[in-house]
Amino acid sequence: MESTFNRATNFVTRSRVWRSFFRHGMPDNEMDRSLVMTTNIFFHLHPVKVNRRSLRVTYSFGLGIISAILFLTLTVTGVLLMFYYVPATTLAYSTMKDLQTTIPLGQLARNMHRWSAHLMVLAVILHMVRVFYTGAYKPPREFNWLVGVVLLLLTLGASFTGYLLPWDQLSYWAITVGTNIASYAPVLGSTARSILLGGSEVGQNTLIRFYALHVIIIPLGLILLISLHLWRVRKDGGLAGQEIPEERLEIASLKE
Amino acid sequence: MAAEIKDQKTENIFPSAPTKTYQLMELVRGTSPMANKGPDNTVFSFPVVALIEVLLLLGTTLLVFVFSLLRNAPLEDIANPTVTTNPAKAPWYFVGLQELLEHMHPLVAGVLIPSVLVLFLVVIPYLDNDRTGAGRWFTSQRGRRITLLSAIYAVIVMPLLIVLDNTFNLREMLRGVAPELISQIILPGLIITLAAWLPMLILLRWKPTMREVILCLFTVMFVSAIVLTLSGFLFRGPGFKLYLPWAMPGGYNPLSGL
Repeated sequence: MESTFNRATNFVTRSRVWRSFFRHGMPDNEMDRSLVMTTNIFFHLHPVKVNRRSLRVTYSFGLGIISAILFLTLTVTGVLLMFYYVPATTLAYSTMKDLQTTIPLGQLARNMHRWSAHLMVLAVILHMVRVFYTGAYKPPREFNWLVGVVLLLLTLGASFTGYLLPWDQLSYWAITVGTNIASYAPVLGSTARSILLGGSEVGQNTLIRFYALHVIIIPLGLILLISLHLWRVRKDGGLAGQEIPEERLEIASLKE
Repeated sequence: MAAEIKDQKTENIFPSAPTKTYQLMELVRGTSPMANKGPDNTVFSFPVVALIEVLLLLGTTLLVFVFSLLRNAPLEDIANPTVTTNPAKAPWYFVGLQELLEHMHPLVAGVLIPSVLVLFLVVIPYLDNDRTGAGRWFTSQRGRRITLLSAIYAVIVMPLLIVLDNTFNLREMLRGVAPELISQIILPGLIITLAAWLPMLILLRWKPTMREVILCLFTVMFVSAIVLTLSGFLFRGPGFKLYLPWAMPGGYNPLSGL
């Protein structure tokens, strides 16, 4: 006799409403496990099956996924901060104070945003170092390595533009020092700096420019290129770590 | 019973399909590397990969959450263009460049070197297009040794160069003796290029592959970047002068700049 639980589950999962949402059955068999991957927009970035070798912790350390997760955390906490933050030199600092003192969980949201940002820069750098040392940039993955280099630069840009927004002494002088470096480039240097700052020194124009770059332009660029990056991982045959069969590894280590 | 299990196993490894024009005739015991692994050593992404990703999501978020409970993001006084902070530092990922600025003309430290490094990153996969060893850490034991030795070299030489230039300031010594172009641009540029290339030049004697040359150059670049960043971030105090991190004058805490 069927238990009440089973009957209730069946009633729900066989209903027309449920089946309009999910185009696959319970993923406890190979057919449905494949369908989960091919019919779900979030899962479809993954192949239906993956090689065991590419899942080894000591191969990838999960650094790419961790970078993407931190980007997600930054989006969520960043949107929360946007509800309060005003990008005006007269108001920015006081909204930061409000976040710390009066706004419920404001300090926590700001802390998580800042620490995630530092951690994301670190994770992205380490991810690049991992890809380099495992030779995962080699053909056919050259183009995805290039996308990765651009993603690294965008991550640095996102962090740097966000650095100014609290409008305290730390951010003001860090951006002044940072943008001064750019001005030494011959011919274009000082022009590039003026365009970035919206004037000759860091001020209201700079704040609104950095804000627009930080909350919309760079994140959109990141989303676009992260999508391309992940798609290319699949198109180029998954992680490079699965490509060497076990026995060749063993022979190689014997030779040495 | 045993036959049934065997048939099930055959079916799992090579599922029969009516459209196939070929068929598995027999399974034999042998020492093939694929024994007991199925045709391609794969697992279904669901639920294994999905679970790994959920765990990474929970772990990363938990780490950031707990750290955020323990340590607050810094917030100093309101921005004041008339009062310069001392020291005034760039964010930590650019402080390595700021450290370089102490030793040479900004054109070299702030523009040429970063451009060359980004260009180097871009051309890596086009210089080294040999697929051998893709997916293997350091490619080979020799590659591992080259990486290790290059790293040790940079760990020793880079701090030495920083301290040396800090003690006998090249730019000051040549001021008035040689034109700025030589003392600030050409000479420091040559020194840093030679310092970065020396391990590679030595390596060239051992007939390295392109991968090994790039392993050497990348390692020197990466480790030097770490050394310069640490020096600028931890060892530079008021006036951007060198101090020990725990003996900063004026109670300056280098960690407060995060």
